[in-house]
Amino acid sequence: MPKHPNDRLQGTLDLLILKVLARGGALHGYAIAQRIHQATEDSLRIEEGSLYPALQRMSHEKWLKAQWGTTDTGRKARFYTITPAGRRQLEEEERRWTELTAAVGRALRFA
Amino acid sequence: MQTLTSRISRVLNVFRRRRLDDELRQELESHLALIEDEERADGASAREAHRNARLRFGTPAGYRERSVDAVVATSLETAAKEFVFAVRRLVRSPAFTLAAVLTLALAIGANASMFAIVHRVVLNPLPYPDSDQVIDLDHAGLGVNVTTGIQMTPGLYFTYLDRAHTLDGVALYWATDQTLTDGGGEPERLRVAVVTPSLAPILRVWPLQGRWFTDQEGTIVSSRGPQVAPTQRVAVISYRLWMRRYGGDPSVMSRAVSVEGVPTEVVGVMPPSFAFPDTRVDIWLAIQQRREMVWDSFNYAGVARLRPGATVDEAKAELTGLILDLPRAYPNDPGVNGFMNTMKVRSAARTIHEAMVGRVARSLWVLLASVGLVLLVACANIANLFLVRSDARRREVAVRRALGAGRLAVARFFLAESAVLSMAGAVLGLGLAWGVVRLLVAVGPTNLPRLSEIQLDWVVVAYTFGLSAVAGAAFGAIPLWRGAPLSGTLHESGRSHTASRARHRARHLMMGSQVALALVLLVASGLMGRSFQKIRAIDPGYNPSSALSFRLGLPVNRYSTPDAMVAAHRALLQRLSALPGVTAASASTCPPLSEEGLCFGSAMRVDGRPLRPGEIPPLVAFRSVTGNYLDSLGIRVIRGRSLTPADDEHGEAVAVINQLTARWYFPNQDPIGQRVTVGPPINRKWLTIVGVVADTPTNSLTSSYAGQAFLPMSLPGTPGLPVAPSANVMSYIIRTSVPPGSVAQAVRRAVDAVDKNLAIAQVRTLQEVLDRAAAQTAFTMVLLAIAAGVALLLGVIGIYGVMSYVVNQRTGEIGVRLALGAEPRSVARMIVRQGGVVALAGAAIGFAAALAGGRLVESLLYQVSPRDPAVLAITTVLLIVVALSACWLPARRAARLSPLEALRAE
Repeated sequence: MPKHPNDRLQGTLDLLILKVLARGGALHGYAIAQRIHQATEDSLRIEEGSLYPALQRMSHEKWLKAQWGTTDTGRKARFYTITPAGRRQLEEEERRWTELTAAVGRALRFA
Repeated sequence: MQTLTSRISRVLNVFRRRRLDDELRQELESHLALIEDEERADGASAREAHRNARLRFGTPAGYRERSVDAVVATSLETAAKEFVFAVRRLVRSPAFTLAAVLTLALAIGANASMFAIVHRVVLNPLPYPDSDQVIDLDHAGLGVNVTTGIQMTPGLYFTYLDRAHTLDGVALYWATDQTLTDGGGEPERLRVAVVTPSLAPILRVWPLQGRWFTDQEGTIVSSRGPQVAPTQRVAVISYRLWMRRYGGDPSVMSRAVSVEGVPTEVVGVMPPSFAFPDTRVDIWLAIQQRREMVWDSFNYAGVARLRPGATVDEAKAELTGLILDLPRAYPNDPGVNGFMNTMKVRSAARTIHEAMVGRVARSLWVLLASVGLVLLVACANIANLFLVRSDARRREVAVRRALGAGRLAVARFFLAESAVLSMAGAVLGLGLAWGVVRLLVAVGPTNLPRLSEIQLDWVVVAYTFGLSAVAGAAFGAIPLWRGAPLSGTLHESGRSHTASRARHRARHLMMGSQVALALVLLVASGLMGRSFQKIRAIDPGYNPSSALSFRLGLPVNRYSTPDAMVAAHRALLQRLSALPGVTAASASTCPPLSEEGLCFGSAMRVDGRPLRPGEIPPLVAFRSVTGNYLDSLGIRVIRGRSLTPADDEHGEAVAVINQLTARWYFPNQDPIGQRVTVGPPINRKWLTIVGVVADTPTNSLTSSYAGQAFLPMSLPGTPGLPVAPSANVMSYIIRTSVPPGSVAQAVRRAVDAVDKNLAIAQVRTLQEVLDRAAAQTAFTMVLLAIAAGVALLLGVIGIYGVMSYVVNQRTGEIGVRLALGAEPRSVARMIVRQGGVVALAGAAIGFAAALAGGRLVESLLYQVSPRDPAVLAITTVLLIVVALSACWLPARRAARLSPLEALRAE
């Protein structure tokens, strides 16, 4: 598997997806993108070109579970839920993120 | 980081790719639809919504590809495609593919089967845990120039047990033949190992069923004085015997059996792989050696486990130190100061692995190396085929290059073909190896340990595929390396002179090395053939034709006195000689080439000649005989007379010695009339020498003969001669006027008529015994000859192929020459010369290599120098003739070309 050019960025996307799913139950790709968009008060937009490979990869790692279902508007869509392994991964990502931001914050303060 | 399961599922996803793709397509479509719905909700028209959604979304195909890439091992997929294309291309040129696959299968099959043997017999012969820590307690007798094989005495056993710090347990054992009777079924003569209970803990192998002996169990034995027949014994039996005779029934453990007439309780069954000291043993009996410091009775073998951390060399040094210390520990012991001292006994401890396969290993390594050479020849052949093939495909490659294929892609194009070929060769080769291994197990020499267990296990399969992959890479890379089809360009008209010169050189290199390798193998097999011829030409000193031999032992509890034994043998001989087709019957404690080793080796004492201090009398193998044994075997009488039935019947105190004994003991005297006796001073009866007979081999055709002495069977055990070969177990020799094998049934019935509890063993014709002695050399020779034959055949095919190609390439030029009036003969000569130079150069290199490598096979040869001029000359000439003929056939075709057709071909 070609390593992602920026592990940190990929990790961030993973973190966001996991977080959204941890809070909101089963969501389809479009909804996930929307939620992230809203949650970050329109400052982060998730590219579909990154979203779907990430969803594939995370399902493959068994962090997410995918199931076909129907939307409120009657459209057929694939819904994702977070698995227990995904929750563990989320904790891990959150911890790393906090560490990183703390470290970067310190660096910015004292550099 | 990827876990292993995630890696594996990525590979598996290759096969689910279509479904993944379809699902993604649907998912992305629904995403688009959802955006459209949103746009519509915001008030856009259907067309606008559709357009906006697509603008916002981007390219679904690209997302899909990236998503699939995230979870599918796509590089593998590309490789698989390349393979499929390679298979299609190969199928389109069946001649090339068939030639290459068959050549490869032949060579790979030879390598796989040889490796299967080496793997089992040499690398992994002992099914004991940490078997490299188990050592054979052998000894050397420097005083008599013996470096290994004189084994152990009880005195040394107790010394090592008490004092050796490098050893962690010592066991004493010996092997013998005994009769098993159990109420049901025929009595059977089986090979029995008599062992101290410490054996299993040392080997760390435990019974599959039941138990092993406790430390206190076992018949008490003594190497001095009268043997008390035991009344009850315990035994452990082999898995083979358990299955064969008792059908794997566990109740055998409570069954009353008797071994050699002694009631015996079977307490356990060993696992199938357990074969100690050799594969023929079926019963293990426990003994407790009486604590006697006996130093001159080397009739025992010993085995020990090294203490953790100790090495074989350390143990050897310590044991030799203990031996050198014996005179201090036992200052007045005659054995220590006499025998041990004069023999200069030293430890010759070595790993049990070395003891069991050391000698066989060398010939197997040589054979493995030789099939390796065959593989090289095969690779050279296929590389040549590839060169031709890649020439023909220069344009195709050029097109690929022009369309933007990288060097790597073109290399993959060629390597995919060689990979497919080598894997096909590996699969076919394994099939071939399976057959070869079955055959070898059936006909191979019996002294290969664990031969019957050889199989194509996963190690062999892995080796085979690994070797094939290396071979495939080798012959696939050669065309790439030389003449670089990678750089082929489109404007080339099909033949570039610089490239083709480099490629000619590559072809000639392949051809020359094939010739060289083939010569090396031819010389090696020639040398083995010459050795075999020499071995078969050895005069064994007796007549092996028309005679049957078998071994028969009398159970000690029912035949406890020497008189009873002698009477039984006489009764048997009488019945046997009366059988139709039998001309004479006789017996000896040990026949020539017996598998029992020296049988009864002892120093000989001569009346009126006390030993001077420090004098070492040579070891003489004593045999007790009855009937017209010497005459009936055809052993030539050199002086005096041979032993007669009358000598035996009247118990005459006479003996016959062989020439070697006469030379050793009576160098300038007439031995006839001299009085001698068997070694120990306890023997006071003197035997008068009445004759000298020709030397016969003792236990091997190729090792130098031993001194031998023969005495009547009725003497041992009589007063004055307690220590002499006992008539307990005798080998019978039945001379016949009909084919000897045909009397075997009648012999068995005759023995039954005397005592139906007697069993006979090792029923063979004397010719079989003789053939068996040469089997090891024959085995190596045949396999080497096959390897050399295959190499020669492949070499010829290779030369022929290259020369035919050369003729094809030069057809136009030849046409011009012929049109301009060149003699067809001179054209042929030109072609032969071109190939001949290469073949001769190859032969010269092969000759030099054979001279240099001769030392590797030297130890396998018998009375043949590795530089034997006749062998070298014959094989070299043979090779050159064959190579030149392979050049001549294409040359003749060139000479017969009609100039017109040849020019048109251009």
